[in-house]
Amino acid sequence: MMRRILANAVVALVVVATAACSSQNEVPASAEPGTRPQALDLTEAELVPGSILVDFKDGTTKEQFDAWEAEWGVDLEFNSVEGTDDGMTVAVGVDDVESALERIRQNPAVEYAEPLMQFHSSFTPNDPDYGKQWNLQMIDMPKAWDSSKGKGVVVAVLDTGIAYEDYDDFKQVPDLKGVKFVTGYDFVNDDDHANDDHGHGTHVAGTIAQATNNNEGVAGVAFEATLMPVKVLNHFGSGTSADIADAIRFAADKGAKVINMSLGGGGYSPAMASAVDYARKKGVTVVAAAGNAGRARVEFPAAYPGAVAVSAVGPERTRAPYSSYGKELDIAAPGGDKRKGDQDGIIQNTIDPRNPARSVYASYQGTSMATPHVAAVAALLYAAGASGPDEVEKALFAGATRMNGQAWTDEYGHGLLNAKASLEALGGGTGGQWPSLWWALALLALVLLTLGRRERPGYLNLIFKPSFVLPLVLATVGVFFARSWFGGASGVGGDVVDAVSLPIPDWQRIIFGRGKLANPFFYSAIIPAVLSFFAIKFRGLRPAIGGLALGFAGFLGYAAWAKAPGLAYMPFTFLAMPWLVMNTLICVFIARAMLKKESP
Amino acid sequence: MKLTGRVVYRDLEGGVWVLEGDDGRTYQLAGGDRKIKKDGQRVEVEGKVADDTMTIHMVGPVFDVASYRFV
Repeated sequence: MMRRILANAVVALVVVATAACSSQNEVPASAEPGTRPQALDLTEAELVPGSILVDFKDGTTKEQFDAWEAEWGVDLEFNSVEGTDDGMTVAVGVDDVESALERIRQNPAVEYAEPLMQFHSSFTPNDPDYGKQWNLQMIDMPKAWDSSKGKGVVVAVLDTGIAYEDYDDFKQVPDLKGVKFVTGYDFVNDDDHANDDHGHGTHVAGTIAQATNNNEGVAGVAFEATLMPVKVLNHFGSGTSADIADAIRFAADKGAKVINMSLGGGGYSPAMASAVDYARKKGVTVVAAAGNAGRARVEFPAAYPGAVAVSAVGPERTRAPYSSYGKELDIAAPGGDKRKGDQDGIIQNTIDPRNPARSVYASYQGTSMATPHVAAVAALLYAAGASGPDEVEKALFAGATRMNGQAWTDEYGHGLLNAKASLEALGGGTGGQWPSLWWALALLALVLLTLGRRERPGYLNLIFKPSFVLPLVLATVGVFFARSWFGGASGVGGDVVDAVSLPIPDWQRIIFGRGKLANPFFYSAIIPAVLSFFAIKFRGLRPAIGGLALGFAGFLGYAAWAKAPGLAYMPFTFLAMPWLVMNTLICVFIARAMLKKESP
Repeated sequence: MKLTGRVVYRDLEGGVWVLEGDDGRTYQLAGGDRKIKKDGQRVEVEGKVADDTMTIHMVGPVFDVASYRFV
């Protein structure tokens, strides 16, 4: 009885999985004109994939073009009630737009035929120097603002302070006027007034939330976010790990969702490591600079497992020569490269280093400048509904533009930051894992086909046996619904949900921490192989191990095919591919051995 | 500890003075007096690495100069 209920549950699970997968990738069916009130001067037209517009001579009837459609291989419909008068029709789901248009234009009744365009007005800020901000274009900024501006998300800037108020001989810089602030703290002078006596912190804060569309200066990435000024670095731009560790806990306790640390150096500090871990467990995204030594070593705190490590690129989209890189790197963002001049740096409003009361627009370069781009996009993601750092990082990395065709490189991490693509990736949910289930099922078919008739298990017996299907599902997609049903729980409960919602090979993240690189022992045939030894003696285990091995095969096969992810301990990234392929084959071999019926 | 190398100004994060050490590493200079800031000058410095110091410049370990002489 119990077994049957379980079996039904598993079948239901697979059906839900299929439905969830097929509901993705919907193509917009018609052109929609932008009606946003704040739309200003920039009107952009995009092609709607697979869609065409055909205008027939006035008075052409549906019967007429229906008759021509078969030959053209498209399905045209009048665009609106006006269509019967003006002959305007559209078709969607056209496989080869160019050749279809070619054929259609031959018909004398056609006035014109063209790809369907989608008109869309993007918000363009009126800040006078917005045009100099190549960095914002690089991360696809104007379009990303259509879906999020970071409203209400608190971003703590742990730096030299921010010129955010008129206090003592400090003055708020004009392009932070109107930006929302919450009370922070000055850990250097131990008071509540975290004003900037250097210039660095105000510049960094400007990249995150410079007042935008205010007819003044330049724009910021998440300009509706709320800034928390936290001063941990002195007037020379340096500070102690003790202050910074305290400040991380302070920001996490005071409601920051994102912590920006454009700082680094020193050695590994257990106090800092535990502070970063504390913030992350509290649901805070910690973003830090990879460093400016131009060498293959990511500085702390960026190198701690809980932090997002950011390298810098110049306007040419290649790593800036000063930017550090390495195996802990997560993502790249524009940080400037001023070898050809100040115009290739990052421009924000800050204070004159010689006079903190004087405002200047300065061009800086450094991984410090790249970091706030990522922190600000994290704020956009939180404002758009991301639930925690795992989801934010997943969207950041999924949306990043792949560099050199690689899923991960030590110079760019998962790629170059792209705000719009990351916002689109958010809400993709666990969709990224589904293909590994399809891979597993395809490999199952392969195994069954290569077995002789005598050795072959009954198809239906096997597929509906929970002891086979459950390990297969666990190894490919995990308990995929756990996060959407129980996600957001804090503490131990949250950890458990995180664990079971991951595919088994990804459980290494729980053991080794959330890695940028997967552990090659988990991403291998070792677990199914070891378990299969037990099945030599205990035959009842065989379907379960078979399911597990097939699940692993599907997972690893898809990982190899998608060129994801990088593996730890592998001296060269190119070794990851043969490793995954070889282990996929071993898993298929194990599965085949497990599922084989012994000849009587 | 004693180090020899070259004092160099780098336009990073608003500007930073470093020691390009003969040991192949780059140190961020701290301490000393302002006259050490001579771009391209070879020096011998005495002092120690401040391990718990983090900076906005992130060019390498912070070297706290106790004394120096141009060589």
